[in-house]
Amino acid sequence: MRRSTLASLLLVGIFAGCGDDVGAGETGRLVVSAASSMTEALTACSSDFSGADVRLSFAGSDELAAQIRQGVKPDVYAAANTKLPDELNKEGLLSKPVEFATNELVIAVPKDSRIKSVEDLGGDGVKLAIGSESVPIGSYTREVLARLPKAESAGILANVRSNEPDVKGIVGKLTQGAADAGLVYVTDVNAAGGELRALKLPAELEPDVTYAAGVVKGAKQPDEARAFVNGLTDGGCAEALARAGFGAP
Amino acid sequence: MRAFPLLLALALAAALTFLTLPVVAIFVNSSPGDLIDSLGEPGALDALWLSLRATAMALAIILIVGTPAAYLLATRSFRGKALVVTLVELPLVLPPAVAGIALLAAVGPSGILGGAVDAAGIELSLQTAGVVVALTFVASPFYVRQAMAAFASVDRTLLDASRTLGASEARGFVRVMIPAALPGLTAGTALALGRALGEFGATLMFAGSFRGITQTVPLAIYDRFSTNFDSALALSAVLVAISAAILLSVKLVQGSEALGSAPG
Amino acid sequence: MLRVEARTRLGALDLDVALEVRPGECLALAGPSGAGKTSVLRVAAGLLRPQRGLVEAAGETWLDTARGLDVPPERRRCGYLFQEYALFPHLTAWQNVAYPLRGVRRRERRQRALGLLERFGMGELADVRPRTLSGGERQRVALARVLAREPGVLLLDEPLSALDARTRAGAARELASVLRAVDTPALLVTHDFAEAAQLGDRVGVIDSGRVIQEGTPSELAASPRSAFVADFTGAVVLTGIARSGANGLTHVDLDGGGEVTSTDSGEGPVAVSVYPWEIAIEPAAGGTAPGSTQNHLPAEVLSVTRIGTRVRLGLAGPQPLAAEITDVAADQLGLRAGVRVIASWKPSATRLVGV
Repeated sequence: MRRSTLASLLLVGIFAGCGDDVGAGETGRLVVSAASSMTEALTACSSDFSGADVRLSFAGSDELAAQIRQGVKPDVYAAANTKLPDELNKEGLLSKPVEFATNELVIAVPKDSRIKSVEDLGGDGVKLAIGSESVPIGSYTREVLARLPKAESAGILANVRSNEPDVKGIVGKLTQGAADAGLVYVTDVNAAGGELRALKLPAELEPDVTYAAGVVKGAKQPDEARAFVNGLTDGGCAEALARAGFGAP
Repeated sequence: MRAFPLLLALALAAALTFLTLPVVAIFVNSSPGDLIDSLGEPGALDALWLSLRATAMALAIILIVGTPAAYLLATRSFRGKALVVTLVELPLVLPPAVAGIALLAAVGPSGILGGAVDAAGIELSLQTAGVVVALTFVASPFYVRQAMAAFASVDRTLLDASRTLGASEARGFVRVMIPAALPGLTAGTALALGRALGEFGATLMFAGSFRGITQTVPLAIYDRFSTNFDSALALSAVLVAISAAILLSVKLVQGSEALGSAPG
Repeated sequence: MLRVEARTRLGALDLDVALEVRPGECLALAGPSGAGKTSVLRVAAGLLRPQRGLVEAAGETWLDTARGLDVPPERRRCGYLFQEYALFPHLTAWQNVAYPLRGVRRRERRQRALGLLERFGMGELADVRPRTLSGGERQRVALARVLAREPGVLLLDEPLSALDARTRAGAARELASVLRAVDTPALLVTHDFAEAAQLGDRVGVIDSGRVIQEGTPSELAASPRSAFVADFTGAVVLTGIARSGANGLTHVDLDGGGEVTSTDSGEGPVAVSVYPWEIAIEPAAGGTAPGSTQNHLPAEVLSVTRIGTRVRLGLAGPQPLAAEITDVAADQLGLRAGVRVIASWKPSATRLVGV
């Protein structure tokens, strides 16, 4: 008899432990879904956030948006473009987005590369890694290519060997020596710790890369979430983003 | 005492629900017509064809190299055998991401053997060959392990008999050992096949993702699910159907083998 | 002609044998399990390489450790019949038999295999898998398969032990006729002396890796060289101390009481052996005739076992005894457990062997 009582108590205890445990006076937990390009910056600043215990989840912005559409409810959604947050806002899943940073698209090459400019990307035998169409880095890249003469962009696209689901994948192909060049954000080159060099794009090709964030509808900690979003423009995380190479909104 | 069978039944019901619901949901979430239309989209067919080709090639390598290797491990003992067996089974417990890192570190462009691979004129990274390498790496332990167990369970006197009847060890291996071990070998093949078809992480890291060259079905599903969920569902449904067909045919082969074969 | 010599250590056993089997002859190696019998077969077949050994068969040398010669099993033309037959489960009966047939087209292979199967009355079961065959049928398929090899030497490992008692008798007769019909030398191992006696032209008793005695079955039974051989060949063995007596006879004081006489000579601790069928049984009440020169031992009947028209009696005396009499005699004496009798036999049927 005693053994089964003990077992029952254990079961109850396990299930009780599964739920959220926000006690009075304790900091709550804030779940932030953010684009991969912000990995280093947000990881550095999130521990300083005083309002709650921040849990970060990084992936391509499109994947995160899809999760939210399927009913996953992080507290904050921070994307590498304004398009996805605006769409979610129109679908009633996100609060009105706040633009909090800008980024710059660059050509990333290994340190010792002989590629110097956009034209070189179309050269013979050059292997490129870019983002897939549905992820912001991929759509920005295709914006850049669309602004080029048709022949040149066709030549560059023919050299593409991999459509990665996020910037980390592109950087990985470059640092591994699998690809000769890729299009990523300047913040990704900074984060690669000196392994890669960034080649600036001509101003007329440079797309408008603006990052936006919002509070997810139905978030468990809406006030802390709002505080976090505000902190992206004016707080500890804003400084961390600036240090990583992000621009002001 | 009646409570115990009831508990068993409940456990089974829970397990069954948990395992079948996601699979059922794939088929239920979209109409069959939409699913078939989504399959017609060129990228989807490319992914399917690539997955089948790469998996077939990986499986061929696994069977040709893995079968004799498993036979050796099952029938001979030598110093350090336990270590060798552990090494062979290691990819089994490696998370796919770790497998990807391992492959990059070994035969990636900057890997230990990267220079040698390059000098031999072989391109692995960002090529279908790289996909085949990744699939072979993660799926082979599934086969080798089963094959080892299958060979070990074959009555050794059968091989002795084969030799005394005039067949060399090699002929005996082909004409007696393999047929006698066939149910286990088939099961191992099915496991390896399933693992290879579903491989994602190592492939993405090692070979990249490019339609028709390296974007296998799992990678294609991942690429699509945020923008074209129906297409992702359709591809998933096809993969489920193929996996089910594989499992079913293995069961049928094992069933007929059991009827036809017999000890001594 | 088959010649097998082997000297090697197998685990805790030191194997040391030297055998010769003439063409057309069957030598049966009989001994308890663990004696090394199967190892001798495996050495002959090439499945076991001894530290020192020699195997000559069919005019060839298959093994000569002195010269570093070791022909692999597949090149030795020997027919090995395994204890559990080792039929290939995924092949039908005729496919099993045809396995050793090489360089022959399929149709002819099937015909030859069918021919062999028919010789054993198995023609109708040619397309059946071993799994559905009875023990006796499997044994015949295995035998046919061995003969298909056209071997220069036959090696048989406990050929009857996997069969049930009823099938065994028929199978033994069949096997005996096959062995007589072929000209090849055959080496057979068994743990059953009766089987060895039935199938072998000569029998070698093997124990702990050595052949203790070799000869025809009746030679071994009549003149066992040791207590082990005597016991193994089915004699009653009693222990005691021997001393010379009058008239050239030897008196033996049995351990536990009683005295017997033997025409053999011996001195000191001996084993006394006599065959159960040499022992006559009288009721105890009658007492022994005075002046009788027979050996007498009082005993109590423990068990009565009918074997056909014979009855085997288990007796408890100062030492255990066994006697075999006709069932008519047993009925007349009203023998059953608990009855007291006198067991008697001639001194000339009493063998003495050193312990």
